Amino acid sequence: MKKHSYRNPVGVSRFTGLLLITPFIIGFAAFILYPFICSFILGMTEYNGISAPKFIGSENYTQLLHDEKFGNALAVTLKYAALLVPLKLLVSLCAALLLNAEIRGIGFYRTALYVPSILGANLSVVIMWQYLFTSDGLVNQLLKMLGAAPVSWYGEPAPAMFMIVLLRLWEFGSTMIIFLTALRDIPRELYDAARVDGCGSFRAFIHITLPQLKSVIFINLVLQTIAAMQEFNAPYMLTDGGPLGSTYTLGMLIYSEMFGHFNMGYANAVSWTMFAVIGLVVLIMFRVTGRRRDSA
Amino acid sequence: MKNIIPKIAACCCAFTLSACACSSDAETVKPDGKLDKCTIRFSWWGGDDRHDATLRALELWNKLHPEITVKAEYGGWDGWEEKTISQISSGSEPDLMQINYDWLISMSPDGNGFYDLNTLTQTLDLSGYGDDVLSFGKVNGKLNAVTVSVSGRCLFYNSDVYNRLGAAFPETWDELISLGSKFSGEGLYPLDLDIQTGCSAWYLAVVYVQQQTGRQFITMDGELGFTEDDIKAALDFYKQLEDNHVIRTVRSRADEDGNAALYQSSEFIGGKVAGVLEWGSSVGKYESVLGEGVLKTGPLLSGENGNGGWMIKPSMLYAVSKNTKHPDEAAALMDFLLNNKECAEILGTTRGIPSSAYAEKALEDSGKLAGLAQESDEMLEAADTVTISPYMELSQMHELYSKAIEEVSYDETDTASAAKEMYSAVGEYLKKVRK
Amino acid sequence: MKKKLPVYLLLTVLAVIMLYPLLWLIGASFKTNREIFSSVWFMPPRIELSVYKNAWETVTPYTMGHYFLNTFGIILPKTIFAVTSSVLVAYGFARFDFPLKRLFFAFLMGGMLMPSIVTLLPMYLLWSEVGLLDTYIPLTVPSLFACEGMFVFILIQFFKGIPKEFDEAARIDGCGTFRTLIYVLVPCIKPAIISVAVFSFLWTMNDFLTPLIMIRSVDRYPVSLALRLSVDSTGQGYEQRKIIAMSVIGLIPSVAVFFAAQKKFVSGITAGGLSG
Repeated sequence: MKKHSYRNPVGVSRFTGLLLITPFIIGFAAFILYPFICSFILGMTEYNGISAPKFIGSENYTQLLHDEKFGNALAVTLKYAALLVPLKLLVSLCAALLLNAEIRGIGFYRTALYVPSILGANLSVVIMWQYLFTSDGLVNQLLKMLGAAPVSWYGEPAPAMFMIVLLRLWEFGSTMIIFLTALRDIPRELYDAARVDGCGSFRAFIHITLPQLKSVIFINLVLQTIAAMQEFNAPYMLTDGGPLGSTYTLGMLIYSEMFGHFNMGYANAVSWTMFAVIGLVVLIMFRVTGRRRDSA
Repeated sequence: MKNIIPKIAACCCAFTLSACACSSDAETVKPDGKLDKCTIRFSWWGGDDRHDATLRALELWNKLHPEITVKAEYGGWDGWEEKTISQISSGSEPDLMQINYDWLISMSPDGNGFYDLNTLTQTLDLSGYGDDVLSFGKVNGKLNAVTVSVSGRCLFYNSDVYNRLGAAFPETWDELISLGSKFSGEGLYPLDLDIQTGCSAWYLAVVYVQQQTGRQFITMDGELGFTEDDIKAALDFYKQLEDNHVIRTVRSRADEDGNAALYQSSEFIGGKVAGVLEWGSSVGKYESVLGEGVLKTGPLLSGENGNGGWMIKPSMLYAVSKNTKHPDEAAALMDFLLNNKECAEILGTTRGIPSSAYAEKALEDSGKLAGLAQESDEMLEAADTVTISPYMELSQMHELYSKAIEEVSYDETDTASAAKEMYSAVGEYLKKVRK
Repeated sequence: MKKKLPVYLLLTVLAVIMLYPLLWLIGASFKTNREIFSSVWFMPPRIELSVYKNAWETVTPYTMGHYFLNTFGIILPKTIFAVTSSVLVAYGFARFDFPLKRLFFAFLMGGMLMPSIVTLLPMYLLWSEVGLLDTYIPLTVPSLFACEGMFVFILIQFFKGIPKEFDEAARIDGCGTFRTLIYVLVPCIKPAIISVAVFSFLWTMNDFLTPLIMIRSVDRYPVSLALRLSVDSTGQGYEQRKIIAMSVIGLIPSVAVFFAAQKKFVSGITAGGLSG
């Protein structure tokens, strides 16, 4: 990132921007900084939510290094994010391209494809997944028809992970909308020009659509990575972290330490570690794409 | 700018620590034995029938005590513990609360987390309780809570399936194990055990070993009563059930049911799995998915040493906030909910079979005691039961049970090393929570 | 028309797959517990509207209508607050240079990285200390201060997509900082602003844990809490269909709002458009 990549318009004070973001500065101090500091302090204590917290310094963090469960959860989370994020971007981009079509009744289709995201982790979704993935569920019956061996979706680590990724993949709505919003803003003239040059639609996609979408791809990449690294609900509803801890994410670990075991100090230490890990990943994303982004 | 951040940090630090600790230095309001005009808050979790009955009971209370307004705070079970712990940590909890058994440990480790009800006997009549039932609510010698109802896990079977196979409900452990071969011919299972939040798999294994050895798995003071060999025996017993086709393996259970509770699975509804180990106070949901009268209570399994080792615990309790401004009134409301005859008739069994002799008598007289819950309750009452330690119910402990059973079931490890690991993990954790 | 047929076909297949759980949910609201868990087919064996009547009335002294009003009492201010403050802050970040900008931007991103569960307890203590628990203030006021970093982040990126010549032209025409924003930039990113508003609506609608902790009076419960009032997994079991019927009712506003808004996602009036 270059400094002073954007210069203020003539006659605009360098404090105008500061003034505009004042709400955020106040909000940040009250609703972000304050709980963060609380959490940071609690991360250095032993605290059960009831008795006064006891200061124990970095002990929680040392414990964390030796905690098998934490190591496993971190690995599971990274694997999950690495699997989900690229797939989700791809699927939601395809859906957005499809839903960008100018046909009658498109509103119905847009809504229909967004419905899973509204349902979230509703009971119906959990039950659908059971009908799909249990041993004689729809997916295994399909596999049988194709002559393949049935898969133990809930019972084995790798398929269980895949099944959860699939649930979140199915809820691509929000990512899709951000793509859709940006797609419509690509100037038509670019496509017209390409057509005149004899460009096919696939090449037009590669050479026009993708570069034009760079900035939203970046938004979605960052937001989806953050969401995936904090994942809690999907494995909680579908597998409860099993089998053998193969879908036990950091989000689940934090929740269970916090409100299951009342190890609030430890839960906060884990959260801060997670904060650092996600922060690092996001920072790398900014660095790699930095030049382009900041030159706007 | 540079100076502000450390300052904010210091303020936050002071504030957090003082707020977190505020519950310990607030002064307790002493009872005066009189009922004054005031508003008190009463919270509970539950389903429709409990909400409905309790709201009607509060209407009755309002007629009897128009000067004491009760503000009802209620909801479903999801998140209720999170809500309560937040309230207690800031000292803003309701005056009277319905609490769960293990909350006594997590929310009142030293007995000072709730009001000492022994000081409130002017308005709270405890004569309907035996000492043993009262002792469930004692922490550190202080009466923190009063048991509303007692419950234990019993075996319930799908009688259609058993009749079709010509099998009798097992009475001994050996009979249970030999049922496996009879059921396996048809691809059925006589029983189901799970490693979900309740971990009934470990529960039955504990009952088995407790009956054999007479030792309690975890004592009421939170000491580990089992030896490493006992834990191994329990895991071996579990493995034996799997190997003999009495229950499904953890893996095939997951494959067939996903993460669903048993009563939501087609395996149970369709009769492939014909038995369940469940609390008498929550067997209704299993009953309702089978035909009427299909689910029946089975005997408590016994061995050479009789049928000891089966366990009971309070299914819920009432506690008074230690920060309450109206201890007498809160205790009077508790007394009403526990003992009042008319109230008992309104509440029925929406909180289980009442432990208070007065309420139980009222229900008996009006003929409201019947069904599976009542049958299992009577069976446990007649048996030589062990009281479940609240420590055994802590969720971290449940995780340790599930982990050991899962690893054994998946053959990730043998029972000896799983037992060794569990023995040391349980011991360490208990030591940590006891102090 | 012929060319569009495959698109229709594909979309219809997708729509059926995506809508099936919703269909199943509606069907299940007429089934008994036993029927619900024994078949994946959505068609109910009978249709009794009394289920919906019961669901609407709830077991509490209040109807679902009451809880809907509560929810809207939270959502409307929250969404308005969130959109206004996020637009202002995003404008500041996207279009101006100021001291410590990179630090504040890092703060903005950092705020998104912590799981909300961690901040719940400190926030509870704060609101408890100032005596504002059991009001909607803890649920709405943080939005006034652009605390949803994600919304700001999305808007910043869209602001950056608008060519700077737009602002400059406006300034030459004599527009000040605010008028440039309102008359030139906001219309350009209207679709993005609407999607942010829709996200805010939908997520608030589903939010469960925060209102559960902050609101204690049943008469102030939003729909998300009312939906789970009857769910007691520790108890004797319950009529699933009633809870399902309640959740179907609860989904209606979300689906309706989305349907109403979807046209606007794609109707930016910008002529020049967004450049990467």
